Amino acid sequence: MKLNLKKTFRSVFLLLLSVTTLGLQAQSDPTGESAVTRTYAITNATVVQAPGQEIKEGTVVIKDGLIQAVGTNVNIPADAQVIDAKGLYVYAGFIDGLANTGAKRPKSMPRPSNLFTPDPPNDFAGITPENSVTSQLDISSAGIGSMRKSGFAISHTVPYGRMLPGSGSLILLADVDHMDEMILAKDVALYSQFTGAPGAYPNNILGIMAKWRNLYRNAVNEKSHSDMYASNPEGLPRPSADRVSQAFFPVITKEKPVMFDVSSMLDVRRAMRLQGDLGFDLVLAGVEQSWMVIDELKATGTPVFIGLDLPDEPKDSKDKDKSEEVTALEARRMEFYKQHVSQAAELEKAGITFGFSTKGTRGNKVKGHVMTLIENGLSENTALAALTTNPASMLGIDKVAGTVEAGKMANLMISTAPYFTKDSQIKMMFVDGDKYEYEVKEKKAKKKKDADAEPAAAPAASSGSDPIVGTWSFSFTTPGGEQTGKMIIKKEEGNYTGVLTSDDGSPDNDMNDISYRDGELNFSFSIDAGGQSVDIVVEGTVEGKNYSAEASVAAFNVTFELTATKDDK
Amino acid sequence: MKTRYILMTLLFAFCAVSYGQVKKGDVLIKNGTVITITDGTKENTDILIRDGKIQRIGKNLRTPRGVTEVDATGKFVMPGIIDAHSHIAGSAINEGTSQVTSEVSMEDVVNPLDVSIYRALAGGVTSIHLMHGSANVIGGQNETMKLRYGSTNPDDLRFEGAPRTIKFALGENPTRGGRARGIQPQSRMGVENMIRSSFTEALAYEKKWKAYNADKSARKVAPEYDLRMQTLVDILNGDIIVHCHSYRADEIYMLMKVFNDFNIPNIVFQHANEAYKVAPELAAFGASASVFADWWAYKLEVYYSTAYNATILQENGVMTSINSDSGELIRHLFHEAAKTQKYGNLSDDEALAMITLNPAKQLGIDKRVGSIEVGKDGDIAIFDNHPLSVYAIPQYTYIDGVKYFDINDDKPDQRIYINPESSIEEVQLFEKMDFSHRCMDGVARHYGANLFRHKH
Repeated sequence: MKLNLKKTFRSVFLLLLSVTTLGLQAQSDPTGESAVTRTYAITNATVVQAPGQEIKEGTVVIKDGLIQAVGTNVNIPADAQVIDAKGLYVYAGFIDGLANTGAKRPKSMPRPSNLFTPDPPNDFAGITPENSVTSQLDISSAGIGSMRKSGFAISHTVPYGRMLPGSGSLILLADVDHMDEMILAKDVALYSQFTGAPGAYPNNILGIMAKWRNLYRNAVNEKSHSDMYASNPEGLPRPSADRVSQAFFPVITKEKPVMFDVSSMLDVRRAMRLQGDLGFDLVLAGVEQSWMVIDELKATGTPVFIGLDLPDEPKDSKDKDKSEEVTALEARRMEFYKQHVSQAAELEKAGITFGFSTKGTRGNKVKGHVMTLIENGLSENTALAALTTNPASMLGIDKVAGTVEAGKMANLMISTAPYFTKDSQIKMMFVDGDKYEYEVKEKKAKKKKDADAEPAAAPAASSGSDPIVGTWSFSFTTPGGEQTGKMIIKKEEGNYTGVLTSDDGSPDNDMNDISYRDGELNFSFSIDAGGQSVDIVVEGTVEGKNYSAEASVAAFNVTFELTATKDDK
Repeated sequence: MKTRYILMTLLFAFCAVSYGQVKKGDVLIKNGTVITITDGTKENTDILIRDGKIQRIGKNLRTPRGVTEVDATGKFVMPGIIDAHSHIAGSAINEGTSQVTSEVSMEDVVNPLDVSIYRALAGGVTSIHLMHGSANVIGGQNETMKLRYGSTNPDDLRFEGAPRTIKFALGENPTRGGRARGIQPQSRMGVENMIRSSFTEALAYEKKWKAYNADKSARKVAPEYDLRMQTLVDILNGDIIVHCHSYRADEIYMLMKVFNDFNIPNIVFQHANEAYKVAPELAAFGASASVFADWWAYKLEVYYSTAYNATILQENGVMTSINSDSGELIRHLFHEAAKTQKYGNLSDDEALAMITLNPAKQLGIDKRVGSIEVGKDGDIAIFDNHPLSVYAIPQYTYIDGVKYFDINDDKPDQRIYINPESSIEEVQLFEKMDFSHRCMDGVARHYGANLFRHKH
């Protein structure tokens, strides 16, 4: 099954490759911003060609988007820009198995006033398998840059939505002028998740499972009708032009797999149950409780992408007088945290090939999470394979991506130290042969010593010049009412910290993962909903003193509006 | 169609062989007071379970090699308790957005991680009927389960070969849902009409498919497939036992008339607080009832109730069981059964049959469980006192001869998965939700409530 699937992805990929490359030929550059040359020679580098395959003092030559040569004894073309990579490490750009990177969440469809809840319109029910993520792609999305900055060159990006949002595509995390240029392969997998329609059918897992079976079985019937009609229409009723059914046709013929976003163990089993009932090719992604389904994964060979959205390490109470009961409960909670962070090691031990998916997490968390998996038993080689070669072959692009080899796409990640070390930083990325450079931060210890050498850092740290540091008044609109409060952002040692306070006396919420770049301010915060933490991701733009953002709650698949105005001092 | 139903039941009994993945145990329970339910109570008697089945019942049985011995001297051994109405161990309970959802099935949402399973085992319960909720007229299909706690695989908890069952609901719950959504039914009249029109539609659906299947042409086009209609067809053909949430006598009688008109052979009325008013009619139809011992007055339609309900039904020849519908009551169904002795003087066997053999019959699994008989499954509950005594405390619970509860090994935290991001709260035996029944679970979800204040 694994082989078939690979073939499936590859056939879709090859078919589409010819179409997408056509557009590239005719690009002109009226802005004059493009690179002088697209030929590069990265020299004196440690090149990790593939997991466990390393060249010291190696050179990588890139020309017109492809890796032209790799080795220790390589001719450097005359037109090459030479990058001395002494002390640097070159890896293949990472490949993300499942993400929304580059997609923009569409405005949620308002609840129709005359909604017939048993049979809502498909858009409201979330049944739009005929859609493609390409209709949601936004070349200016901040996610593209931030995932690239974290080492990813290719993302299997899926559309936002509910039960059947549409097909996902493989996109290159490159800065492009037109969406088509970033598409490596369009509509490679039909994407599905167990997300119900709010207050309408199918509302939850019960209805979704039934609806899935119903849609699929009807599509099978429709397909044989269509095939029969195509070969000879005489005397036959005209087949319907039902887009939903038609979207399943390539799935039925196994030209396209179904990728399920299934974080929980039970959802994994439910997706496998549907697969068992209906017989399509299944890919599992975002899996967070894989240790409980190792036998099943092994027996079926179902391709699996482990979700990098790892739980935070539980913090035990510091109360010295805490009861024995609380201590015991904390120990058990820690036991399950350990299960989560050692699952990749367990899969490795069981000989299961897996990749990673970043959906639900952020680029700047990726390395930390992978390092946590390594600290808990995952080997570095398998970790690298899960970021490069495994997703390449699982997504059918191993002929063009996943390793640093001549003939492949020039997707490279260059770090200041072996990547899986604490202090390594990504210095440079190549995506599709184009170079992206990043400022390398000095280590903090050094910073103190060379404080004078970096006067530029000082003004940035003071609140006066930073556009987001300060106190903001925010307003958060939910169907349950409007929430107002203060959003207080500080900058300490180059990092933002912040807190949301509420005007009505509700507890404060820490702002996490605050990032500010090119006028785009993103952060997240968690609220406690009955012992269960719910994450809210806020993404928006700052214009002067105004912040306008969307706050999305992935757990409920809803977005709310959040606006803020900076207070005058 | 009745014969067809019987055939199906037989068939299911044999199908069980094909599963066989679950753990089976070998155990000799020695010298207990064995309450068989079907063959009286036997003092100082042994039960030998081999490979999950009761192989011998008798005195001074020899312990075969490799068989664990359990001393039940002074203890009371009864068949594992069966709860014909439960909502534990389900990830979802209601798909209440449509008033007919026969296509959905609780088998898709079994949650083996629910610690309520362990609590039920600690009350001597070995099998439950995980039911869809009562938010809609024709709800989802239910799942009959064995409480094999410890596995993370829902398949391990299925009662292999149990007949299919489905939830119907009459009265206030489905009409409340209808009114809330502005759809039919908004009254009891609408409920009846909805059931009749659904069955009529299903007959038309069946006719279309029969014509299609009979068509010998190679160039035929299949009618639209509809899992909802197909499930209703299966009900009409007697392949699915209907368990109907109901309270009032008039609506209980109404459903019998509807089922008569559509030739559906079997109904189990769930709750059925006013069933005593139509007990002879129920007996004549062959319908049965699964009731609460003494739970009522939680809404208008449940005021006209009596604790003598179970006894009156029993005395009128209506097969009756007592259920929990609750993660709390399920822990002491033996107390619930005992109430029939206070209210109606039922015999020990009659009272205990209400939580063992009778629910087994209502679920179509009585060939396998519900009494201690040679050939039946080794599903056993062992008590320190007579289970109908208020002092009775469950000691061990066995399923298929495997011990799933042992009071001597009752760790304080029996959860098999803990969310590392959960907060540690003062542990209470039951969350508030568990006290009330989950029949309307998921229906009144407060959506988009103030997120900051959402502290629960």
